[in-house]
Amino acid sequence: MTELRVQPIDEKHIRISGIPPVLAAMLRELPEILELRELPNAHARLFPNPTADHDKVNDEWQQMVTPELRHLFVSAGETVTRDLTALSSDKANPEGYQVTFPIEHVNAWMSAINQARLILAEVHKIDENEMDRTDFDPQSPKHMASLRIHLLGYLLHLFVDLDKGGEPENPV
Amino acid sequence: MVLPVEMVQPGIVVIEKIKAKEQLTTPWNVVVHNDPINLMNYVTMVLMRVFGYPRPRAETMMLEVHNKGRSLVWSGEREQAEHYVHQLHGYQLLATMEKSEA
Repeated sequence: MTELRVQPIDEKHIRISGIPPVLAAMLRELPEILELRELPNAHARLFPNPTADHDKVNDEWQQMVTPELRHLFVSAGETVTRDLTALSSDKANPEGYQVTFPIEHVNAWMSAINQARLILAEVHKIDENEMDRTDFDPQSPKHMASLRIHLLGYLLHLFVDLDKGGEPENPV
Repeated sequence: MVLPVEMVQPGIVVIEKIKAKEQLTTPWNVVVHNDPINLMNYVTMVLMRVFGYPRPRAETMMLEVHNKGRSLVWSGEREQAEHYVHQLHGYQLLATMEKSEA
């Protein structure tokens, strides 16, 4: 049984190890999923308006801020895509996979994984009820999208746990 | 020739000044909204990173988002509110800013 882990291997590198084949396949699909970010629903979710009813502020935001956010999101996806070229069999566990990347790429990984989860949810119209699903029909694209969101969510959860050492020194 | 406003209707100038002052001093609220996809511990992490809140405060706000659908996470000057919303959107949280009613 593989145990999925995200951990530093030295001061400069992070390794995800024990990646089961199904999650490895999903990670390889990340670049393809991220390309869907400009579909209308996905775009609206990733680049929301900053106010509910100030049209002028919203228009200015979409012109000035959205391109900057798009650059940030695309850049994160490109970083992870490059890192994923090193995805290989886990020497300690031949049934699993592993990938090692620079520690400064952690934020890019969290961004790319979360973008993919949000895009899948919008493309497949997955709501709160669908997220509670525990049975997944392999023939249903919607069910498989829910499963992807959960599995990528588990990986993201491990990244967030990794971040717990960085609590603020001067809390408000 | 168009006369300066204060020469035609001096009162309007005063009113506009008051309005401008109100706009500068009225605080703006930054609100985080619930969504079914973002993880609870991810939202907590983002609130800690963006605002420097200690974990208990960030967790309280995250739970308010989860249970009530929204949480007012910061209040203050508009420019700073925009900065925070920008950062929250960078982490893919659903966040808006709104003028305080207080």
